[in-house]
Amino acid sequence: MRQNWLEWVALAVSVVAIVAVVGFLVVDGIRDAGRPPMPVVEVRLDDAYQTDAGWLVPATVGNDGDQAAEAVELVARAPVGDGSAGVEEAQVTLDYLPSGSEVDVAFGFSQRPSGDVTVTVRGLRLP
Amino acid sequence: MAKASKRSRDHGKNRGKARGRDRDTQRSAHDREDVGRTARQLLRAVGGGLIIGLPLLFTMEMWFHSFLLSSWKLVVLLLVTFVVVIGYSALSGFRHERTWAELLIDSVHTMGIAAIVSALALLLLGRIGPDTGIRDAVGKIALQVIPVAFGVSLAGAQLAGGGGGGGGGGGGSEDEGNDEDAQDQGSSATDGGGNLGAFARLFVGAGAALLFALNIAPTEEPMLLGIEASWWLLLAVVVASIVMTLAIVFYADFRGGRSPQGGDSILDHPLTETVAAYGVSLGVSLLLLWSFGRTDGASWSVIVGQTVMLGFVAAFGAAAGRLLVGGGAQTSGGG
Repeated sequence: MRQNWLEWVALAVSVVAIVAVVGFLVVDGIRDAGRPPMPVVEVRLDDAYQTDAGWLVPATVGNDGDQAAEAVELVARAPVGDGSAGVEEAQVTLDYLPSGSEVDVAFGFSQRPSGDVTVTVRGLRLP
Repeated sequence: MAKASKRSRDHGKNRGKARGRDRDTQRSAHDREDVGRTARQLLRAVGGGLIIGLPLLFTMEMWFHSFLLSSWKLVVLLLVTFVVVIGYSALSGFRHERTWAELLIDSVHTMGIAAIVSALALLLLGRIGPDTGIRDAVGKIALQVIPVAFGVSLAGAQLAGGGGGGGGGGGGSEDEGNDEDAQDQGSSATDGGGNLGAFARLFVGAGAALLFALNIAPTEEPMLLGIEASWWLLLAVVVASIVMTLAIVFYADFRGGRSPQGGDSILDHPLTETVAAYGVSLGVSLLLLWSFGRTDGASWSVIVGQTVMLGFVAAFGAAAGRLLVGGGAQTSGGG
């Protein structure tokens, strides 16, 4: 069985690619404890910006669980303006929230939020 | 290649001297041509992988199932793919004998090239990027490896220029290498002779059914069809699947189709082979539905409905696969 250098390179790269993909999946399968989705929301109030249609507050949604989630409905509440306008609600729905991944979203308010933005998960679907 | 080296050998004899130096240049020329042949093989592999893989690279459900499916399911799917690839390259190589080691190396090549082609294609389509989680990215690559590996495998077996002959470029040296292996009958992977047995045909049918049904299985359509179909409609689909595939393989006079006269094995008769192939197709459908989570929490009637509907597609795939390899069997000049 005579091989030239290109065949050796192709074989080596192939083996590395297979070991990387399968190895990662096996390790991930062993470490997977089947924990349910754990949405983690990080609101970036400092990055809030004004648009013609109100204020947008960017946020990053992560998932610390092992399972993915579908149709994740998030509700953000924040006091707006000088406080006299009361608390406003904003809502975002994520089609998919994979485990260990991050999804960028933005919550919309009529004025700049004047206090902390609290986010709650209203519901989600398990795959 | 064999011809070329013989020519240069004659040339060397005529000159009668500097034989050692001649042998060196002969070897380096040989190596260069060998590398060229390997490069063309790799190009065919990438091309074949993309031709078969592109429809599923552009399927949204394939991207999402990368993280919806558990790692174990992905590993099982990759194992099944690997087995199909090994089996297919063993059967398609019936023109020239190969050792098990060569077969295994070929199949590792196929899977590895498929993984790299999938990764690059997903990068190109923007499905994998710096922001993608590792698990998500690896899952996407693993899922796309399945169709791409089938394409790479097909490129190696069916799409190669001139097949076993010397047609496409330096195809000849392949045969040269295999002559040595042919002596080694004991560890040879196939029986040779170019006659595929009933089980081998069924195996190729299963692989083709998997490839064909894989294009439909990730989508929501089979579930919808399965849920909405009433029992008599499903029965009609079963009958249609069997009758149509029986007609296509044995009576439609497709290239690679076979005459209805049976062989020795029980499975060599048209009806038994068709029914067996249909059973395999249903099994493949069920495997795919399970893989994509369509059986989770589903009632038995829904599972059966989905399996029969997807089995319609799988049965046609199995028929196409048997046509593809059928030409090497009994009919020969038939088509």
